[in-house]
Amino acid sequence: MKTRIKELRARYDLTQEDLAKKIGVRRETILFIEKGKYNPSLKLAYDIAKALQTTIDDLFIFEEEER
Amino acid sequence: MKDKIGIVVGIGIAAMVLVTLSLFVLNAGNLELNEIMPIGIVLILVAFAMYILWDRIKNVKKGLPAKDERLKLTNYKAGYYGFIAAIWSAVFAPLSFEILFDYELPGHLVTAVVVLVSGFVFATSYLYMYWKGK
Repeated sequence: MKTRIKELRARYDLTQEDLAKKIGVRRETILFIEKGKYNPSLKLAYDIAKALQTTIDDLFIFEEEER
Repeated sequence: MKDKIGIVVGIGIAAMVLVTLSLFVLNAGNLELNEIMPIGIVLILVAFAMYILWDRIKNVKKGLPAKDERLKLTNYKAGYYGFIAAIWSAVFAPLSFEILFDYELPGHLVTAVVVLVSGFVFATSYLYMYWKGK
């Protein structure tokens, strides 16, 4: 699974720590989600999308073979 | 507040384990290899606990949570691996001592092996997932 978190963070000039603070998770969690090493829960995905003013659909890109 | 209480309780437990271990070592006299090994594992487990506590303190100081959903999941997974290790070590520790050393392991030592092996497996799998993100 790919994400656009890094790209959107850059757009809003947010560090991983800033985003983590905004949604109440640890910085490493943001790092691992960005790297595709952790799949967030629906609630966390929603919180990240909301913090980055986008939708879950726009934030996470699923490859067809991953489904 | 809940995070801070957890950290204080964790430090207290680690300190009590260290005090108990020190009293045991001071009163044991000459220690044999089979006594040094469990002490080593206990020290590794205490070091693991201290590392986790230090990391939590660091996060709380930065205004980040000590635990989040990823760490809770890591905790559950590591707990599961520790549980499996406890079951297998309860079966295989007496059996392997019987086969390898022709020695029937007493019940209290089997309990010690189960506790130490499951603790060690929990700590190593927790750290692995903690660093690797899986």
